[in-house]
Amino acid sequence: MATELNTFGAILGFAIEWEKRAAAFYEAGARNRLLATFLELAQGARKRLRRLEQARREGVAEMILEPISGLDGEAYRLELPPETDELALLNQARLLEETAARFYRDAATRMPIREVARLLEGLAQENLRRRESLDHLGLAGL
Amino acid sequence: MEYGTLKNYVAGQWEHSASTEVLEVHNPATGEVIAQVPVSTPEEVHRAVVAAKAAFPEWRETPPVVRARYMFRLKALLEEHFEELARTVTTEHGKILDEARGEVRRAIENVEVAAGIPSLLMGYNAEDVAAGIDEECVLQPLGVFCCIAPFNFPAMVPFWFLPYAVACGNTYIVKPSEVCPISQNKMFELLDAVEFPPGVVNLVNGDRRVVDVLLAHPDVVGVSFVGSTPVGRYIYATAAAHGKRAQCQAGAKNALVVLPDAPLGPTVAAILTSAFGTAGQRCLAGALVLAVGEVYEPLKERLVEAASRLKVGNGLDETVQMGPVVSRRALERIHGYIEKGLEEGAVLLLDGRKVQVKEYPQGYFIGPTIFDRVRPEMAIAREEIFGPVLGIIPVADFEEALEIIENLPYGNAASLFTSSGKFAREFKYRVRCGNIGINVGIAAPVATFPFSGMKQSFFGDLHGQGRDAIQFFTERKVVITRWF
Repeated sequence: MATELNTFGAILGFAIEWEKRAAAFYEAGARNRLLATFLELAQGARKRLRRLEQARREGVAEMILEPISGLDGEAYRLELPPETDELALLNQARLLEETAARFYRDAATRMPIREVARLLEGLAQENLRRRESLDHLGLAGL
Repeated sequence: MEYGTLKNYVAGQWEHSASTEVLEVHNPATGEVIAQVPVSTPEEVHRAVVAAKAAFPEWRETPPVVRARYMFRLKALLEEHFEELARTVTTEHGKILDEARGEVRRAIENVEVAAGIPSLLMGYNAEDVAAGIDEECVLQPLGVFCCIAPFNFPAMVPFWFLPYAVACGNTYIVKPSEVCPISQNKMFELLDAVEFPPGVVNLVNGDRRVVDVLLAHPDVVGVSFVGSTPVGRYIYATAAAHGKRAQCQAGAKNALVVLPDAPLGPTVAAILTSAFGTAGQRCLAGALVLAVGEVYEPLKERLVEAASRLKVGNGLDETVQMGPVVSRRALERIHGYIEKGLEEGAVLLLDGRKVQVKEYPQGYFIGPTIFDRVRPEMAIAREEIFGPVLGIIPVADFEEALEIIENLPYGNAASLFTSSGKFAREFKYRVRCGNIGINVGIAAPVATFPFSGMKQSFFGDLHGQGRDAIQFFTERKVVITRWF
């Protein structure tokens, strides 16, 4: 994954890879009491991935393809070692959603193309809702 | 060789050229040969024209709504192969992936607009133009058109024309640039998959020799060209001498005027994109900054600082912000202009010749280059460099900036950066350029508008894209009716 997020394509490429990893994480962790929620989140990540690919295809506007600065993928680096414990998996998922929300919010502020910035902001808000649903799962006594 | 020897596409079939003359296609980032392109023989070009002419009668009778469906199928295929096409553009041209994506997007937009042909092709009528007499005007296709394409937008430029020509009921021949022919080859793989009737769309590879056969051919009714001014002038004159329609989009030297009230942050970003995007190899590239009054010093400083931070490299790397120029010859020509600028007394603030891309020592790289204290009479201020070289001219006021633009031989594009509506209005009203940007560095018309151009930037009257394209690819027939 690119760490310098200094172009439209680098940001969208980073986001696309992120969603692929998120989908794989949820699919691998979907088990027992996490099964339904994680499968739903995996499906959501695949849908987000398609929206991002569409934005990369359709959102690119030659007139305003301006260089982007101040965004580095390193700030969102996330290691998610394989876990079997459900609570540990739940905590990893929370961290994943929190980090994604932070990335999408930061990226939205730097994206010169308005409709793509809106998409990124929308994804950040969705991540926060996803994080909330994971919190409820924890509160429910997982 | 990644792409092998390219073929022609004639009468719905891919054909090897029998030509013994073959040119090399290079990846400008690596310097490697990635394909070979034949210089098609006159007989092969003739065969393409014959195929296109033979396909015309049935194609023109095909209802526009049916022709539009071919456009919808083409759009779907272009979307499906979008990333592959963008990577091909980058590989053969060098522009960064985002720019290549932007190019493919714009090609698709033209297909989308052409899909509206059932409405676009409607004529008009009036009842009772005289007692009991009605009059109508219908738009009819003409026959075989061709496109002579440049290297700088190898996927997009033929699509300023082809979708409209074909949707109007004409048949078409594309002669791609011999420097960057691969993208169009890929586009034709998709046109082939759309299954147009044989002969409706054709592709012949080659160089000027192929162009000359097309220009002289009696069965070609019109030609669309994009390229340099000398070649544009030649094609326009030759096409006219052979009784053909012609639209020839030519060279440019685009000025970006910055007023003291322009917000510097977004202005600098827009100028960078304009001057150094696609390594300056765009006919809409900003080549001169006319800095008005006190904005000159801070603008100059910020431009140099920002341009020196642009990352130069292989455009396939998503983090690269500027790719190589298209060929070694182009690189040498640009170096020559930098030398000339120094000889003429301009001050070199940022020397792109110092930029090296270690991973690709054979690539045709040059970094952003900025000259200061450029004077309007200098060659670097008047001639099209077609590379990432920006000249700064300090000017006293808005009027002086307009005078410099007026005296330029070209009239492709000009932009103004300001917060003043009054100056913006004056600028768009008075400047004799076909494409005007107000706080936009690349004044690139979308597909529903003509890609305009004036003075020595355009030869013809009807431009590519939009309604102009419909007019160019049809003729008006007036029918006057009286019933006894």
